[in-house]
Amino acid sequence: MMEAQKRNIKKEIEEKLNDNILRSALERFAREYPAAREKALENIEDVDALRESLRDMKRDTVAHIEEVADTFEAEALKRGIKVFRAADGNELRNYVLNLCKEKGVKRVVKSKSMASEEVDLSPFLEKAGLSVKETDLGEWIISLAGHKPSHMVLPAIHLNRYQVSEYFSRELDESIEPDIAFMVQTARVNLRQEFLQADMGITGANFGIAENGSIGLVTNEGNGRLVTTLPPIHVVIIGYEKLIPTIKDALPILRLLPRGATAQLMSSYMSIIGGPTPVMVKEDGKWVETQKEIHYILLDNGRLGAAHDDRLKEIYQCVRCASCLNVCPVYALVGGHVYGGHTYAGGIGAILTSFLSGMGEFEQFNELCIGCRRCTEVCPGMIDIPGLIEELRRRSVKKHGLPFVMGRISSIISNRRLFHGLLRVASTAQKPFKSGSVVRHLPLFLSGLTEGRSLPTIAETPLRDCISEVIKKIDNPVRRVGFFSGCTMDFVFPETGKNVIRVLQDLDMEVVFPDGQGCCGKPVSATGDVEYTKRIAKQNIKAFEDANVDVIVCACPTGVEQIREYAALLKDESDWAARAQTISSQIREFSSFVAEEYRKTGRLKKADGPHNIKVTYHDSCHLKRVLGVYKEPRQLLETVGECELVEMHNADKCCGMSGAFGVTHANLSIPILKEKMDNIKDTGAQIVACACSGCMVQLQGGVDQQAPGVKMKHIADILAENIRD
Amino acid sequence: MKRIYDNWQDKLPAGKSGSHLYEEFELRARNVATEVFRVRTFVEARGIIANLAELVNAEKAVVANGPLQQAAGIVRALKSAGVAVYSKPGELREHVATADMGISSVEFGIAETGSVCQNAYAIEDRLVSSLPPIHVALLNSNNIVPGIDDALDVVSESFDRGYMSFITGPSRTADIERVLTIGVHGPIRFIVVAVDEEVA
Repeated sequence: MMEAQKRNIKKEIEEKLNDNILRSALERFAREYPAAREKALENIEDVDALRESLRDMKRDTVAHIEEVADTFEAEALKRGIKVFRAADGNELRNYVLNLCKEKGVKRVVKSKSMASEEVDLSPFLEKAGLSVKETDLGEWIISLAGHKPSHMVLPAIHLNRYQVSEYFSRELDESIEPDIAFMVQTARVNLRQEFLQADMGITGANFGIAENGSIGLVTNEGNGRLVTTLPPIHVVIIGYEKLIPTIKDALPILRLLPRGATAQLMSSYMSIIGGPTPVMVKEDGKWVETQKEIHYILLDNGRLGAAHDDRLKEIYQCVRCASCLNVCPVYALVGGHVYGGHTYAGGIGAILTSFLSGMGEFEQFNELCIGCRRCTEVCPGMIDIPGLIEELRRRSVKKHGLPFVMGRISSIISNRRLFHGLLRVASTAQKPFKSGSVVRHLPLFLSGLTEGRSLPTIAETPLRDCISEVIKKIDNPVRRVGFFSGCTMDFVFPETGKNVIRVLQDLDMEVVFPDGQGCCGKPVSATGDVEYTKRIAKQNIKAFEDANVDVIVCACPTGVEQIREYAALLKDESDWAARAQTISSQIREFSSFVAEEYRKTGRLKKADGPHNIKVTYHDSCHLKRVLGVYKEPRQLLETVGECELVEMHNADKCCGMSGAFGVTHANLSIPILKEKMDNIKDTGAQIVACACSGCMVQLQGGVDQQAPGVKMKHIADILAENIRD
Repeated sequence: MKRIYDNWQDKLPAGKSGSHLYEEFELRARNVATEVFRVRTFVEARGIIANLAELVNAEKAVVANGPLQQAAGIVRALKSAGVAVYSKPGELREHVATADMGISSVEFGIAETGSVCQNAYAIEDRLVSSLPPIHVALLNSNNIVPGIDDALDVVSESFDRGYMSFITGPSRTADIERVLTIGVHGPIRFIVVAVDEEVA
C-alpha cells in the first residue's frame, strides 16, 4: 500500500497517452471489437437471455458458496485429487514451494493463471531457485519484458512486433526477425523443450465443477493441454468465484466467454479434467505409464468475504473475458497498466483489486471509470461495474472521508444560496475571456482549471432569473408540471431551459419552476458523500412539495436518475421516506415524456419534409443505458419537417464529459471528444442534437473548436423552434 | 489403451444428433481452419490418411489406436506407405515429440461451433493430438450433435472423471499485435476425417 501511495497516476496517464504504439493498438482494437463480437454472437438466439442465465447461475452459486466448495472438495478427494484451501497468497506460495521441495521439482511450466499472478507465485518460486516458465505466448512475452499484463486476455497488447523481437533476441541470444509468424514458431520451438522437461505443470481454471470435482480449461494455444499432459504433477490454482455446481452450468460460460473474449464461437481447446489421468515417466531409461498427481489450490484472498457482501458478491459473475475493457473508452486510451499494474485491468479490475489488494489501491484509480455504462451492455455476467465502483467509492468516503477539496465542494453545492451565489460571481469573473458563447480556461463549477478546451460560459442571467419571460398562463391546463432544470440548464443553458418550458406549454401544460430547487446532488453523490447528498435531496423535495404539481419534468437524464434515487437514499428516515418516494415517482425525463404526450395527441409521426437540414443524434450514456431512452428522441426529431435524421457511427459512445470527469480528467476526456467530433463530421450533419445538458457542455466545446459548421442543440431547442404560434 | 468410458455414442441425443448436421459442422469447422474430409468407408479413410502422409512427406507418425483407427487399418496402411508408426505407449512417448503427424479418434462433433469432442483419458490420445504439427482425427459422421448444450448433456451423462476436450481447429494465438497466427504449441494443422461407415 505504501508503494501505491507513491504512484503518480496523472503522470502515468500522461505517459500512456503519449505512447503511440499503445494508442494505435488500442484504437484499432476498440474500433474492430464490437463488430467482431456481434458476428460471433450471430448464432445465439437470445443473447440477453443467455447472459441472464449466466448471471442467475452465478448468483445461486455464490448464495451458498461454502456448500459448493465443500462438494467440490469432497468429489475431488474421492477421485484422488489433493485439495488445499489457501486463505491468502502467502499460504498458496508456501504450499507450492513445499510441494516442489518434497517432490524434487526443479522445472515448472505454467499455462495462464491470473490467480497465480495475483499472488506473485512465479517470482516467489524463482527466488527459491526454481525454473518457472510462462507458456502462454503473451504471458511469456511480458515475462521476458518484465511487464505486468495490460489486458486480461491479450496481456501483451501494449507491445508491437518490433519490441517483441527485441525481447526474443535478448532472451535467445540471437537476432530474431520481427515477423509475427516466425516469432510464434520461435516460441513453439523454444518452449517445447520446457514442456518436455518439466517436473510440474501449473494452470488456472476457467471453472471448477462441484458435482464431479473436475476443472475446465479454455485455451487457444495448446499449451494448456501440454502443461496438463506431460509433467507428472499438475497444480491447479482456482479462486472460489470459479466454482459452478454442475457440468451443465458451464453452458453459458462456454457460449459467452470465447465469443466475448476473442470473438470465437469456441476457443481451440476446452478441456474438462478430473481425477488423476495416466502420465508417462522415464524410469531406468524406459518410459512407463503411471498416474499423474493433481493438487487443487482453492484460493480465498478476499473472495469469501466478498461472497457475503451484498453488493460485492457480484464479482462472482465475472468470467474474465475482458469484454468490459474492450468497450471502455478510457481503457482504449490508456491501456491496463495505469489501473495499478495489477493482474486485473480496467473497471472490473478496479473492483477486483479493491478486495484483493486493499482499498488503498482502489482509491488510486477508481476515478478512471467514466460511468458511461457501455461495459454493462456486453458483460456476460451482467455485472454493474460502474455501480460497484460508485459503491466502493461511497465506502471509501465513509471510512476515510473526502479529500479536503472535494469535501469543500460538496459542502458548497449542498448550500444552495452559497453555490448559486458563487456561480453568479463566476459569470462576472469570466467576462474578459468571453468569445461567443464559449470561453477558454473557465473554472467550471468550481472544479478547477482545465487546459486546451473551450467550456461554455456561465450565463449572465440564469434561467431562474428570467423565467417570467417565458412562463404563460394556460387556460384549462391538462397537467400542472414542475420543471426541474438542474444546474447546467439553469446557469449555462438558460435558453434551452426556456425551450423546455415552451414545448411543455405547447402541450397545454401549466409549468411551474420552484425557486427553491438546487443541484440534483449527482456531483456530490458521485464523490461518495452520502450525508451531503441527503441534505440536497431534502431541499429539492421541499421545493417541489410546495409547488403542488402532478409531475416533474427534467431535461437532463442524470438529474432524473438522481431524483429517482431519492427514495432509496431516504428510505430509513421516517420523516422523509414517503415524501422522497413521491418525488422519485413524479420525476420524468423530458424527451420520453414529450414523445408520450405527442403520441397521445397524434403528433408523434414522421413529418413530410422538406428534410433540408441534416441532424445527427448523440445518445447520452445515461439516457440510453440507465433510462433506456433512445428511440423517443429520434422519433421527436422526425416530427420536425426540416430535419433529416442521419445516424453517426457509435452514436451511443460517451462524449467524454460524464459529470466532473470531463474537467478533472481533461487529458482523457478530450481524445474521447475528438472521436465523437470525427463521427459527427463524417455524417455531414449541420446539427448535432442531444437530450442531456452534460453532453451539451462537452459537445458545445467540441463543435466550437473542431466543427465550427455544426450547431449543437438540445431536442427541446429543435422542438421549440418548430412550434407554430 | 486405457479409456474410462467408451460408449459415448449411447448418450448422444436420439433424434437430434446425426449426419444431417454434417454440413453445418463442416462449415463451422472450416471457419476455424479445420480441414474436413467426409468419406463413406474405412477403406477410403485409410486412403486419405495414407495420401496425406505422402503429401507432407511424413516419415514418422504416432497413432492412438482407438476403434476407428483399427477399423480403418491405419497403422498397417501407413507402414506400407513407408512411414514409421508408433502406437504402443512407451515407443509412442519416445517418438511423439519428433513425429510428423498424430492420429486419434474423436467421439462426436458439435455443429454449433465446428468442434469435436475427444475422450482424452488415455495418454496416447492426448500425446498424439497435442505435440505433432499435424493432428488427424477420425470421426463417425453420424455422431454430430447440434449445439454446445447437447454436447454438455452428453458429457454430463458420461463423464465422471478423466480428461475430455472439445477441440476446435488447430492451435492459434493473436498475442502479438492481435494478428491471428495458426499453430502455436499445439497442432499447426487439424484434419478431421468423417467416416459414414460404422464400426462393425
